[in-house]
Amino acid sequence: MIKFLIKGVIRDSTRSKFPIAIVAIGVFFTIFLSAFIGGVLQDAVEVNARFTTGHVKVSTLAFAENSTQAPLDLALLGMDSIKSGLQNEYPKMMWVPRVSFGGLLDVPDENGETKGQGPCTGMAADLLNTENGELERMNINKTIVEGRAPEKRGEALVSEKFAQKMKLKPGDVVTYFGSTMYGSMCFQNFTICGTISFGQQMLDKGGLIIDISDAQQMLDMEDGSTELLGYFEGGQYLDDEAMKIAQEFNARSTDSTDEFSSVMIPLKKQNQLEGLLNTSESMSEIMVGIFVLAMSIVLWNVGLLGGLRRYKEFGVRLALGEAKGKIYRSLLVEATVIGVVGSVFGVILGLAAAIPLQIYGMDVSEMVPSSNMMMPSVYRAAVTPSTVFMGFIPGIIAMVLGQALAGYGIYKRDTARLFKELEV
Amino acid sequence: METIISIKNLTKEFPVGDGAFVALKNINLDFKKGEFAGLVGPSGSGKTTLLNIIGSLDVPTNGTAEIMGKDIAGLSHKEAAQLRNKYVGFIFQEFHLLPVYTVYENVEFALLLQDIPKDERHKAVMEALEWVGLTHKKDAKPSKLSGGESQRVAIARAIVKRPAILLADEPSANLDSANAHNIMQVMVKLNEELDTTFIFSTHDEKVMQYLKRIVHLRDGGLEKDEWIKEATV
Ligand SMILES: Nc1ncnc2c1ncn2[C@@H]1O[C@H](COP(=O)(O)OP(=O)(O)O)[C@@H](O)[C@H]1O
Ligand SMILES: [Mg+2]
Repeated sequence: MIKFLIKGVIRDSTRSKFPIAIVAIGVFFTIFLSAFIGGVLQDAVEVNARFTTGHVKVSTLAFAENSTQAPLDLALLGMDSIKSGLQNEYPKMMWVPRVSFGGLLDVPDENGETKGQGPCTGMAADLLNTENGELERMNINKTIVEGRAPEKRGEALVSEKFAQKMKLKPGDVVTYFGSTMYGSMCFQNFTICGTISFGQQMLDKGGLIIDISDAQQMLDMEDGSTELLGYFEGGQYLDDEAMKIAQEFNARSTDSTDEFSSVMIPLKKQNQLEGLLNTSESMSEIMVGIFVLAMSIVLWNVGLLGGLRRYKEFGVRLALGEAKGKIYRSLLVEATVIGVVGSVFGVILGLAAAIPLQIYGMDVSEMVPSSNMMMPSVYRAAVTPSTVFMGFIPGIIAMVLGQALAGYGIYKRDTARLFKELEV
Repeated sequence: METIISIKNLTKEFPVGDGAFVALKNINLDFKKGEFAGLVGPSGSGKTTLLNIIGSLDVPTNGTAEIMGKDIAGLSHKEAAQLRNKYVGFIFQEFHLLPVYTVYENVEFALLLQDIPKDERHKAVMEALEWVGLTHKKDAKPSKLSGGESQRVAIARAIVKRPAILLADEPSANLDSANAHNIMQVMVKLNEELDTTFIFSTHDEKVMQYLKRIVHLRDGGLEKDEWIKEATV
């Protein structure tokens, strides 16, 4: 019987092609959009993790409260002992210090006179020590436009945009002007070893990347850093773990009456990433919900029209001795078949669109307005097994639901009434 | 001969507006196994309504209709469907073949509702097509058939499960004279060979010629129950 029904579905193109096309389109969008939006959000979280938040971040309590201003005077001192303590306790994590600072970058001419000047956003990391993976984490070697990463103290990377504006090239010298963590003036010369373009609006404006030891000396924060970032092995943010570690650490180290006591904050609690993470997780569900609803309505109507066309057939089947409940169920079987076929097409199309977007990405650095939020400038999709699985749900549910609604009239009505209305 | 259809004091009303329209009034009728009978009367006299009740597609308002010993008013949807499936074949004025299926599949469809193994189905379908002389058209789609051929496929579909009762509602209305005679001859033959009870609804003289019993209906009432000794053809 099922074989017989399927034959009918296949041969009657108005019964199959249109609904299959609708299901395929809906599933395509579900898969593609959830992979795309999920991917972008995931990347956004990752970019934040790599550059500013870590998977967990340790700073002073006061710094954490004013983190948007990056106040140097609230830096974490005695950083080395905190770091080795954490390293002992969580040996599977990597702990790296960072210093973020601001100031002016001055470009002198041959005579030492100012040729040009601009504000700079400085970031210092442990770049000379290659074991901690900071170069890879910040993707420095791949994003260098010209030159190379710092190999010794006194070298700096400047952002490509700044370099172009100031006509700088590797080998040139720039002077940093700013203030130490105690508020006194400081300046320091750096030799440019390379120019860099992260693809991050925030870092690419006037970025200065130097080694942490230079920053500590220049800013008068021996054994200090503004932040100590912790990363999980494997680079994947693990929310439960992060929350647990932070709780343990804070129970021991945080003293709410001492603004210089240290506090650990997991990624999720920084930069409003919680919303981003939650959205990313629920993206598939949201997409599925929207498309189930939209497609069901369309398919309901398609089912109604299809039902009208088939009244004669239903009448004959009633007369041949098929119970109306069985006819109704056979409609649902047909719908399931159509839903599966449409979903397979939709999944194939969705993956065909999403996988290239995952591999090659879409460069949107020109389109996205500059913002303080760290967003990836190359949008990528993220295809996961659950994306594929999710794709099947709306197609099949929508088709069966649409058909169930459309066929409900058949189920509800009296056989005699039905038989007459079917104009047999 | 055994009585397989027994109708007693049957009345059928249809709700119309606030009142009711009486389509059949106080009908008393029996049909025995192997009869070749017709309900005859002008349009609107209640022929189709009575056939539908006999076919357990509808139920009486008052009185009883017993089909194969079962009072159809007491049957659930499912039981009524089973009764139709097992004992009743229908033939319609407009053939009502399923357009997406071949001739063979249209006939086979009637058997799919019963759990009959495939090779047995095949045998039964081919035999039914042989009776109506259409084995050579078994792979054709209904759209490629003439009216006469279509009605013969419909007969094969109705007869393939060997029902005890075959109900034919104005089967000749869409056929020319030659085809009308042809299908009637086929049905006479089936009636003789398989002992199937045939009940027609008709106002066509060509059909009436073949009937051995004519039940005259008028305005929902039984006007005359006439037995014909020798069929006129
Ligand atoms: N479902 C219904 N509701 C109301 N009136 C009906 C219904 N079915 C049949 N009738 C009426 O009952 C009468 C008999 O109909 P029918 O049995 O179809 O006649 P026939 O087949 O002899 O032409 C007609 O007047 C018809 O209008
Ligand atoms: Mg009629």
